[in-house]
Amino acid sequence: MLFSSISFLYYFLPAVILLYFAVPKPIKNAVLLVSSLAFYAWGEPKYVFLMIASILVNYVLGIAIEKFRGKPLSKVFLGISALFSLGMLGYFKYADFFIANFNKITGLSVGMLKIALPIGISFYTFQILSYTIDVYRGNVAAQKNPITLGAYVALFPQLIAGPIVRYSDVELQLQTRTHSFEKAALGIRRFILGLAKKVIIANTLGELCEAFHASGDKSVLFYWLFVIAYMLQIYFDFSGYSDMAIGLGKIFGFDFMENFCYPFISRSISEFWRRWHISLGSWFRDYVYIPMGGNRVGKIRLVFNILTVWFLTGFWHGAEWNFIVWGLYFAVFLMLEKFVLAKYLERAKGLNHIYVLFFVAISFGIFSASGMGQALSALGGMFGAGELPFISAEFVYNLRSFGPLLVIAAVGATPLVTMVKNKLPSKLTDILEIPVLFVLLIIATAYLADGSFNPFLYFRF
Amino acid sequence: MNKIKNIITTVLFAVLIFSVSAVCILKPQGEYSPGERRALAKMPELSSETLFSGEFADGFEAYSTDQFPMREKLRTVKALFATGALGKLDNNGLFASQGHLSKLDTPQNEDMMDYAANKFLEIKNKFLKNDNIYFAIVPDKNFILAPQGGYPGLDYDAFTEGMKSRTQYMKYIDVAPMLSLDDYYKTDSHWRQENIVDIAGHIAKEMGSDILGEYTINTLENPFYGVYAGQSALPVKPDEIKYLTNDVMSEFKVTYYGSGSPEPGEMYDMEKAFGKDPYEMFLSGSMPLLTIENPNAGNEKELVIFRDSFGSSIAPLLAQGYKKTTVIDIRYMQSAFIGNFAEFENADTLFIYSTSLLNNSAAMK
Repeated sequence: MLFSSISFLYYFLPAVILLYFAVPKPIKNAVLLVSSLAFYAWGEPKYVFLMIASILVNYVLGIAIEKFRGKPLSKVFLGISALFSLGMLGYFKYADFFIANFNKITGLSVGMLKIALPIGISFYTFQILSYTIDVYRGNVAAQKNPITLGAYVALFPQLIAGPIVRYSDVELQLQTRTHSFEKAALGIRRFILGLAKKVIIANTLGELCEAFHASGDKSVLFYWLFVIAYMLQIYFDFSGYSDMAIGLGKIFGFDFMENFCYPFISRSISEFWRRWHISLGSWFRDYVYIPMGGNRVGKIRLVFNILTVWFLTGFWHGAEWNFIVWGLYFAVFLMLEKFVLAKYLERAKGLNHIYVLFFVAISFGIFSASGMGQALSALGGMFGAGELPFISAEFVYNLRSFGPLLVIAAVGATPLVTMVKNKLPSKLTDILEIPVLFVLLIIATAYLADGSFNPFLYFRF
Repeated sequence: MNKIKNIITTVLFAVLIFSVSAVCILKPQGEYSPGERRALAKMPELSSETLFSGEFADGFEAYSTDQFPMREKLRTVKALFATGALGKLDNNGLFASQGHLSKLDTPQNEDMMDYAANKFLEIKNKFLKNDNIYFAIVPDKNFILAPQGGYPGLDYDAFTEGMKSRTQYMKYIDVAPMLSLDDYYKTDSHWRQENIVDIAGHIAKEMGSDILGEYTINTLENPFYGVYAGQSALPVKPDEIKYLTNDVMSEFKVTYYGSGSPEPGEMYDMEKAFGKDPYEMFLSGSMPLLTIENPNAGNEKELVIFRDSFGSSIAPLLAQGYKKTTVIDIRYMQSAFIGNFAEFENADTLFIYSTSLLNNSAAMK
């Protein structure tokens, strides 16, 4: 089920809110668990059992890890947990990738498994791993109540598109959390803004991307228009989903971490990644990079650490070489900045923004593809390879048709709107806020009722 | 202030989603969307099989969207917001220009053009014994609107040349230079019968026939919201359907073969004129085969027309010059079987098709 659907907004959500606030406190987590499993089963009726198995296995392993903490057995149980979780991820997400490459190298023709990827498996696997690793490290206590652990893993607000919520961040909230009008209103505001970002901005930009793919009249400028639209689409879609997740979390009394913080205003690629998909970046930092030694190692080891983390980051996004190249592309820039560019970028005011936007745009050319062949073709198109014309009629049409939205999206991706809002008299913003929110909700509903283009972009994650 | 604002936000949100939810559940199911001219999705059957296969979830998504309260009005809100506030030039691929609604062209599809041409060749080889084979392409109104408004569109000259080169055994009759924007309905893709009299005359002349050209113009007393009006969801004024009659046409004997066996019919189907798509009044719309017998032809000539919906409004005009006209739509019948119903010996044959069908000809059987 998608947040951006009539079935979620006007069937599922009212039912869950009603049930959740009707039951006494001790049963609230059970309501969240059952409704989250129903939410997941709606789209993945078979794979919901996989998730339940994952919860139960790691519930037992968490307790075992804690019981033997400090002893070798604890490490063994952690190893089993990692093997189980990553094994599932490997089997469902990466098996066909490995088989295809094995076949290419050996010339054999091992049959593909052609397994459908369980939605959200990359997100909930990382959440479970953060739990068992933190139990092993002694950062959190093992959860004795399987319903509470289940509610954490399956929690529907962040289940299919993040943010990756760590157990340590919500451990206390899972036991005791407060509900108030203030939290609910904050959550509602955040949810509606996220919904509008996804439905009105991201989906419409998605139409431009679709028009580009379908076009027989491509040109260099059309490639650039596509890449810019795609970059903004992904930002508004992903950050919109995160906003909806954070908002829903607040309605149910949780405080999830922020996942995006105006990444396109960054002055370096390093800063970009501190502002983009923050929960994934910090997960890799805390559970891969730092355990490998982080920065406190020699130069060669540091290069190895960075390459490993960004190889994994790219691979996490999809089982294709272009995602790996995409990750390593950023690794190269991060190393360049670390070793050479950092001081120059700090001084090059204005240029540093252009540098980030230019190279991030190129990265999205790679990211948008469904394989290296397509990625190279996209990059070739952006730089006029082949006999591609510089400009085409369809580029002009789409620029005219989507131009106003692109400007709105570009401005909306910066803190400008918030800055302007903060400069207005608070009385005025207080009065305007509620009507604006509900108009946005009605317009988003109108888009959904129209059955407008509404893609789900996270099927590869 | 903040406290009150928080309470109002929460209560309003709760009232909105709970009340809309209640209406969604209690509202009787709608059957049909007149705007989109399609049946609305119904509540899917609930069983363990449909639940575990995901069929129920998919069906419910379609059902909840289609049956949403005030959906038609919300579609208009969306269309106005997309084209007004966001400045989009089209909504769901439909655009408004020069007072007309139109649909963005799909790119030229060589495979579909080949497919259509091959169908015509099969028919020619199997049934057509003489050389009196004529071909006319009706361009979409985009051939005027797209270049003038800067909308991406087909290269209609290239398209026509492409089709002509594939059908060199036919004599091509060019009607495009005779068409202006006024010859098309504003809210629909089709041409207006009252404005194509000259085109009918031109085609008849090219085929060595003669038609009267004097008509009474009748106006249908039913506002015509064409197919684009509903699809675009933009608020528009309706068109007027006008249809032509004269003494010769009033003597026509029309026979429909919709069910396989002959049934007497009307040239202008007044039931359909007040139905879901009033344009279907012309020769009763989607009809696989029909004949028009003209006792006042003054000759023994016969005409066979292979056509799409554009042919419905021009066929009655052309039929004036022939003793018998057979009108065939191979989207609704297998072309291999048309020999059972039509007589091709010594008949003139006209293939008259719109660019949109030729460019998307998969429906031809």
